[in-house]
Amino acid sequence: MTDADQPDQGTKPSPDFAMVMASAVHDMKNSLGMLLHSLDELRDELSPDGAQSPRFNTLRYEAERVHSDLVQLLGLYRLDQSNLSAHVEEHFVPDYLEAQLARHVPLLDGRGISYEITADPISGFFDADLLSGVLNDTLNNAIRYTDKRIRMGSREENGYLVIQVADDGKGYPASMLSTSPGTSAPIDFDSGSTRLGLYFADAVARLHQEGERTGFVRLFNGGPLGGGVFEIHLP
Amino acid sequence: MDDFENFRLSMRQMLRGMGIGHIEACANGNAAIQSCTYEQFDIVLCDYNLGAGKNGQHILEELRHRKLLRRTALFIMVTAETSKEMVMGAREYQPDGYLTKPINQASLSQRLGALLQQRAVLLPINREMDLDNLPKAISLCTQMLPQQPRYRTWILKTLSDLYYQVGDYSHARKICEDVLQSRELSWARLGLGRILIAEQRYAEAIDALHTLIEKQPDMVEAYDHLARAQSLAGKQGTAQRTLEQAATLSPNAILRQKQLAMLAGSNQDMDTACEAWRRTVQLGHYSIHDHPDHYLGLGRSLCDLSEDDSSDEGRGRADEALRALALVRKRFPDSAGVPEVSRLIEARVHQGQKRTSEASAIINSFLESEEGNAPDTELELARSLFAMDRRDEAWQRLMALSQRCEGNEAVQSDIEALLDEPVSFRQKLQARRLTRQGIQAFENRDLDNAATSFSEALKLVPAHPALNLNLIQVRLRQIDQGADRQPLIRECRQCLAQLESLPERHKQYRRFQSLKRKVEGLS
Repeated sequence: MTDADQPDQGTKPSPDFAMVMASAVHDMKNSLGMLLHSLDELRDELSPDGAQSPRFNTLRYEAERVHSDLVQLLGLYRLDQSNLSAHVEEHFVPDYLEAQLARHVPLLDGRGISYEITADPISGFFDADLLSGVLNDTLNNAIRYTDKRIRMGSREENGYLVIQVADDGKGYPASMLSTSPGTSAPIDFDSGSTRLGLYFADAVARLHQEGERTGFVRLFNGGPLGGGVFEIHLP
Repeated sequence: MDDFENFRLSMRQMLRGMGIGHIEACANGNAAIQSCTYEQFDIVLCDYNLGAGKNGQHILEELRHRKLLRRTALFIMVTAETSKEMVMGAREYQPDGYLTKPINQASLSQRLGALLQQRAVLLPINREMDLDNLPKAISLCTQMLPQQPRYRTWILKTLSDLYYQVGDYSHARKICEDVLQSRELSWARLGLGRILIAEQRYAEAIDALHTLIEKQPDMVEAYDHLARAQSLAGKQGTAQRTLEQAATLSPNAILRQKQLAMLAGSNQDMDTACEAWRRTVQLGHYSIHDHPDHYLGLGRSLCDLSEDDSSDEGRGRADEALRALALVRKRFPDSAGVPEVSRLIEARVHQGQKRTSEASAIINSFLESEEGNAPDTELELARSLFAMDRRDEAWQRLMALSQRCEGNEAVQSDIEALLDEPVSFRQKLQARRLTRQGIQAFENRDLDNAATSFSEALKLVPAHPALNLNLIQVRLRQIDQGADRQPLIRECRQCLAQLESLPERHKQYRRFQSLKRKVEGLS
């Protein structure tokens, strides 16, 4: 992240270059959107065997992963330009969660994963677009690492709206659980894994503020299905 | 509506799969609007980016503006864009929902299902609003509010807006204030600002909108309302800067560019006005809001900027003005007054480029064929006559117009402004700068410098009422302090003579009368 108050010292990419990057990312994201759309159409045309093939699922999963990475990159770019603010509105949570899950139905069915939503019939206050970026990534991740089941849930706890995504896979590796999201670098080049998703989730959570309270993200293992659990708490 | 055939096909398939019977697909905006003219659709799914021509926002604007889409129908914007300009632009015209590509059967049916359910629940309210039966819609909202927690926000927003529309500002405000009590929500803060403006509580409105912008610097509607509040509170310069910020955030909203052009024009910031008119004309190309005034505004501002400027830039601007004025005649050939007014501005453009014979030819041929000019045409004619130094003709015409339009405040104040300063905008600017210097000096009790500034300014605009009275006031003060009376009294009399025909309704009239008595008392 560049500090907006610091003058450019020549070591960072110039603002123009950042803008070129952002518009290229924007373009790639739209292309991938078209690609994903074609993949879903293709799946409908394929024989059931073809539609369920692991290679097809990998194709869909990886494309979705890059797509959501790009969405998050754009979000972070805007955050860095300090023109990203949370447009908090009231939303009926069960409807909202259903809409998030619907997007992943082809892949869920393709991999034979069962899914459910256990949401209290409550309304919550949040920025629907930003939170979609977070949940898309989380769901796509869960689909990749779960065994058979995924559950999305929501509840109210201590005056926070809690949205949870749980699976029955092996859970998060210890290294991810030990560090808190906002404090470490988003990209760990040694292990080759980007933690962009988590970094973005944390940034989005913290954009949600109400009075003295601020949103946060929790990761843990176990939970209702015994696998990994992602929770975002919003004031 | 989508420009990709593939997408239209797969959308049709998905909708069929949901059991939707009558489906029509269009490839471009004009076809879509055409088809909405002949049929009433329940749901319009419209892609934002339709390639060349109208985009989704233009279609939404036009459908709403021409009332081709009932409130009870759903307009859903389909988009692959998260680009800021587009979201900002579209937000002002509020589609009923968004769908983000990629779309699959599951997400389409989930989203449409939820929207249709909402439509069914809120149908009674929307139906009354379609019938303009607002009191009935209000009572339905109050009834439904406790029963429908799921649509609480929609009902509260609508209710506050309905109260606003029927002029019950205190109830409208109460809703926003109650919501804000429990949580800072931008729609409520924005609504509050808008209501406070309607209640003419401008300072509070400005406060509310500043609070909102601080929290949500990308909420462009807040800037629009803030600019309106500032302008109504008499802070034209600040209002212009606010609108400039909004136009930077979201440059594609035609009505905002128009607002900015008019405000900058009245602030004599001709460069900004010109650029804003240019964008307004450009954006009008596919928009229902396209209007001849935009082209005339562009022509006038370019005319002002190019006047007496024979450099390449000045010539370029004059040529651009002529192009805009020719274009408006082509695009709006039947619009009343447009051919006449555009010709009259043309004459002024030529005059500014020292092409006197062209200018005279246009004016003379106009005068030969004129009959029963509208007030705007007559004002434009006077402006051009002044520019060509045919002052007496201009003056006579304005006097006649003033008599003819007794009681028409707008025309009277235009006449007044023109008579006060019948000169080019550069000279106007210079006169105003000198006036400000004079007032400053007067406030610092530097009477000699004040008098010098006012006299200099009067050389540019000799008949300016406020300026003449300012100079008289300085001279009277100097006489009080023991200056040589006779030459100063003579000068005061000359000033008064300039204002001999000041009409009674002029806003300086009473000041003129009182200073006149003082001067007479001295002699």
